Amino acid sequence: MGEVELSCRAYVKMYLHACLFPRCSVNGLLLSSSSAGGAVCVTDCVPLLHSHLSLAPVTQLALTQVDVWCSQTQQRIVGYYQANACASDCSPTQAAMKIADKIAEQFDGAVVLMLDGSKMSPDYRVPPIVMYERKDSRWMLKDKHTIMLRQWEETHGIAIQMLESGDHSLLVDFDSHLDDITRDWTNQKLNAKIAELASPANGNI
Amino acid sequence: MASVSEMYDVGWEEMRDKLRKWREDNCRNSEQIVDVGEELIGEHSAKLGDDIWIIYEQVMIAALDCSRDDLALTCLQELRKQFPDSHRVKRLSGMRLEALERYDEANKHYDAILQDDPTNTAARKRKISILKAQGKSPEAIRELNEYLEQFVGDQEAWHELSELYINEHDYGKAAFCLEELMMSNPHNHLYCEQYAEVKYTQGGLENLELSRKYFAQALRLNNRNMRALFGLYMSASHIAASPKVSAKVKKDNIKYSAWAANQINRAYKVSCDFFRKDLNALNPLI
Repeated sequence: MGEVELSCRAYVKMYLHACLFPRCSVNGLLLSSSSAGGAVCVTDCVPLLHSHLSLAPVTQLALTQVDVWCSQTQQRIVGYYQANACASDCSPTQAAMKIADKIAEQFDGAVVLMLDGSKMSPDYRVPPIVMYERKDSRWMLKDKHTIMLRQWEETHGIAIQMLESGDHSLLVDFDSHLDDITRDWTNQKLNAKIAELASPANGNI
Repeated sequence: MASVSEMYDVGWEEMRDKLRKWREDNCRNSEQIVDVGEELIGEHSAKLGDDIWIIYEQVMIAALDCSRDDLALTCLQELRKQFPDSHRVKRLSGMRLEALERYDEANKHYDAILQDDPTNTAARKRKISILKAQGKSPEAIRELNEYLEQFVGDQEAWHELSELYINEHDYGKAAFCLEELMMSNPHNHLYCEQYAEVKYTQGGLENLELSRKYFAQALRLNNRNMRALFGLYMSASHIAASPKVSAKVKKDNIKYSAWAANQINRAYKVSCDFFRKDLNALNPLI
């Protein structure tokens, strides 16, 4: 299938989400603000859960709320990401595929992104990502060469820098929002911080 | 780099008391424990008296959590010197091996403890944790079930088992574990709410009605539990929308869901000025 582009903002937030909850499986949604057709540009992500990923109520609630926010902000849900608690296991779970199927119903080029926990340390120079796309109603591993990360070195650097300065504690996922509804799951503050660190060439698509 | 005592303007007694509080509350804020504990041990060990041993244990475990094997080994060696034949210290040695992913050696440590003392629950639980870490969920579940047959009152074990079942999508068995927990902890709103979420996930009218009841119970126990409030709204809405219910049940559930919607709206209005939640946003769920 087609190319998938992953923005700095989306990657950094996913990375920080996984680092914020190192002992839990975490998941979230991939969003795009570009129009349909051509490459899928993942411009943002919404971190969802860090507990009970396979239970329905909070997942359903989150999907609905993110959907509404997307329609208000000219974005769409184009995929799903997950990082498993067990760092050496980066295979998608049954629950992950169920959510992915739901997303694929609304968007043809939906992707599933698994973060590979064993490759997330700073010394790894390659994106710790495994992606799946839908071909003939089955989810297949996506060719690495069709996954683009613009300015990867800089993106990687920003992720590590923010982790080391403790900025991951600023990240709010939907689970945390439910614990304290004054916390913003759209992460505007964190987005601003990422934008500050990124050069214009690595800005939002 | 500034020391903890400099950064937060605290003395060694406050650092020691903070560590005690974290021990009592069973907090897993390992990075903080390492920062405070390392300084306390490094600079004030003579002042701590007998407290030092439990602090070594606490800091050692936190150090393992943060991949600080240097610090963990230092603490472990002090404990080994002081308590050479202790099972408790042997368990800590095993935990260090687990952190280094040397699971076979760790298991040997735990087996040795259990040979000496078959009732040692800590060693048994570590063995189960190893199975979990290795991704051997079915085996972990089996061992945990066997453990619970003997130690039926172990809350932590029941909760761990419910989590394992949820990950395996075995919601019926997860519900059973949560029922045990609710029986022994009737005032714990979190167990009620988790039970309700499992029932909701199982689906079907009967389970939805049970889920609504337990979301409501969780709210009675803690009226600020947002998950329970949303859960009540969603389960009541689904029941009201079901073609299989009587007119009366439909009417009642519309009332419950409207009440919940109102409460949700109020909660958001009070808390968020920038984050206005329109309840119409949730209507698509019906």
